[in-house]
Amino acid sequence: MAHANDRIFDHDMAREWKLKKSRALLDKRMDLKDAVARYVEDGDAIIETGFAYARGPMAAFWEIGRQKKKNLVGMHTPGGLTSIFHEEGGMEGSHVAYVGVEMRGLIAPFRRGVEAGTLKVFAEWSHGAMALGLKAAEQGVNFVASKSMLGSDMVKNNPYIKIETDPWTGEPVCLVPAIYPDVAIFHVHHADKYGNSRIWGLSVNDQAIAAAARKVVVTCERIVDTDDIRSNSAQVIVPWYCVDAVCEVPYGAWPGDMPGMYYFDRRLQERVVRVEWKTPESTKAWVEQYIYGTRDHYEMIELAAKEEGMSVLDYVKQLEQFATSAAYYNLGSWGTGADRDWRYEEVAKRAI
Amino acid sequence: MSDEVVYSPREMLACVASRLIKDGESVFVGTGLPLVGALLAQKTQAPQMMAIYEGGSIGAEPKVLPWSVADPLTLYKAPIILSMSSVFGHARCGYADIGFLGGAQIDMYGNMNATCIGPYDKPTVRLTGSGGANDISSLCDRLIFMGLHLPERFPEKCDYITSPGYLDGPGAREKAGLIGGGPWRVISHLGLMGFDDETKRMKLLSYHSGVTPEVIQQFTGFELLIDDDVAETPKPTEEELYTLRNLVDPNQCFCF
Repeated sequence: MAHANDRIFDHDMAREWKLKKSRALLDKRMDLKDAVARYVEDGDAIIETGFAYARGPMAAFWEIGRQKKKNLVGMHTPGGLTSIFHEEGGMEGSHVAYVGVEMRGLIAPFRRGVEAGTLKVFAEWSHGAMALGLKAAEQGVNFVASKSMLGSDMVKNNPYIKIETDPWTGEPVCLVPAIYPDVAIFHVHHADKYGNSRIWGLSVNDQAIAAAARKVVVTCERIVDTDDIRSNSAQVIVPWYCVDAVCEVPYGAWPGDMPGMYYFDRRLQERVVRVEWKTPESTKAWVEQYIYGTRDHYEMIELAAKEEGMSVLDYVKQLEQFATSAAYYNLGSWGTGADRDWRYEEVAKRAI
Repeated sequence: MSDEVVYSPREMLACVASRLIKDGESVFVGTGLPLVGALLAQKTQAPQMMAIYEGGSIGAEPKVLPWSVADPLTLYKAPIILSMSSVFGHARCGYADIGFLGGAQIDMYGNMNATCIGPYDKPTVRLTGSGGANDISSLCDRLIFMGLHLPERFPEKCDYITSPGYLDGPGAREKAGLIGGGPWRVISHLGLMGFDDETKRMKLLSYHSGVTPEVIQQFTGFELLIDDDVAETPKPTEEELYTLRNLVDPNQCFCF
């Protein structure tokens, strides 16, 4: 099979694949372990979704590490967390728009890999350019002509874009090709069992990625009735026919943020980014303990709670302290009251 | 001396930054120090400022300082949250007056580096990469850069041009096909800089209390032009500091 970098820009292959996908209303519910085992294949180009630490599919990322997937091609916009397993053989190289955690600093395993030459950088992108490539795929056009990237050194380090002359104005433009990742995993607030997925807050590139990617896995805070989705579809960003698997994973964005529901664990994030991942040895120890040493996402949460000297329930409750009020997203009863209590019960049950 | 206002270098940076934003202007806010400057402006002289964050929110009213450009605090009271391609698209359409950026290096022509220190193929430090920095500097009408003032952060030439300023001098931006006016102001903990209209080189406009143009030159990796009307930067006012400490950054995330 061709290298992921060839598949990413292959319009025909992406179309052929999607012509074969079922449009039927199939029950696609499955365990996250099965979904990752089936739909994330060694050598796949995996695109990041949400905004890194905000509505990122963290539980799925950790599961990819746990299953020791090999030689993935990372498409880092706007995050880069998938790169942390490269020292374990998990990643061959990256398309880089941004790899870091903003004020928390750089992601040390990525930095080490690129500096030592053990993690390849296939191309430099701006956030806007990669967003447009994904948008081009969603809109069904071969490329878009952008005014980003011009004059920058990134042009020399991206073999996939071209600087050409706009036939109308005669000015230079940056041509960005449509981008078709192999696999995308979204974490959303609600999904029905067919894969229709609803979010609150920021959608980033997700609506474009849903159409662009060949394989799509949805993890959600809660699976809801399809009538609930159909009666309020304005916030649906992923339609069922794009989706291959639906996994119910409450707190699936932990230790990141889920708008209206819970806030990132700042202390944990900072400790992991600045201390635990600092050297290859400390990263390995962290991976051994937190990833290979845990059965699933909930044992990881339990471990974090224990380190804080808290019960799982107290731990997840304090994550709500800074979360933006559910009221601002029109979540209604979702995210609060009975829905929140359901989430508490689930996480307590699953952590045992 | 006893009634003198006491403030830190980062607080000075935040106050100078916030004063550059006029009420009613739209600001594409980059991560780091720009988050502080923009929110201080919004809570002082520019309540009608329109903040655009890369995470997609436009017109939000964060209660306190967001930690990043996609922090849920950037979504607070936002009347609309767009996709990433759309927020940058709106900047290209002409809805972004100011692009507000931080970064690892800025050179004499206002080019910025967020990619690597040392040669690209064998970097001493691999940095984050562009993120939205390239798009912000390519698409907004004018740019403000904020950072700490050290010779290696203000080199004659950036190790890598992630975000284009005036590239290699007059006319280069236009030749490359770039739109927008390019770099406008640079704020460091030592002074406020602009760019010479003709040569497009960085020029000192004012120096902060306690330093002189000579000291700032020593901390700059290239020959800094000095404006004819160079003067001391007005100090932070008590109102600015009160707002900054109590309403913008009460937990001293950035300003310490």
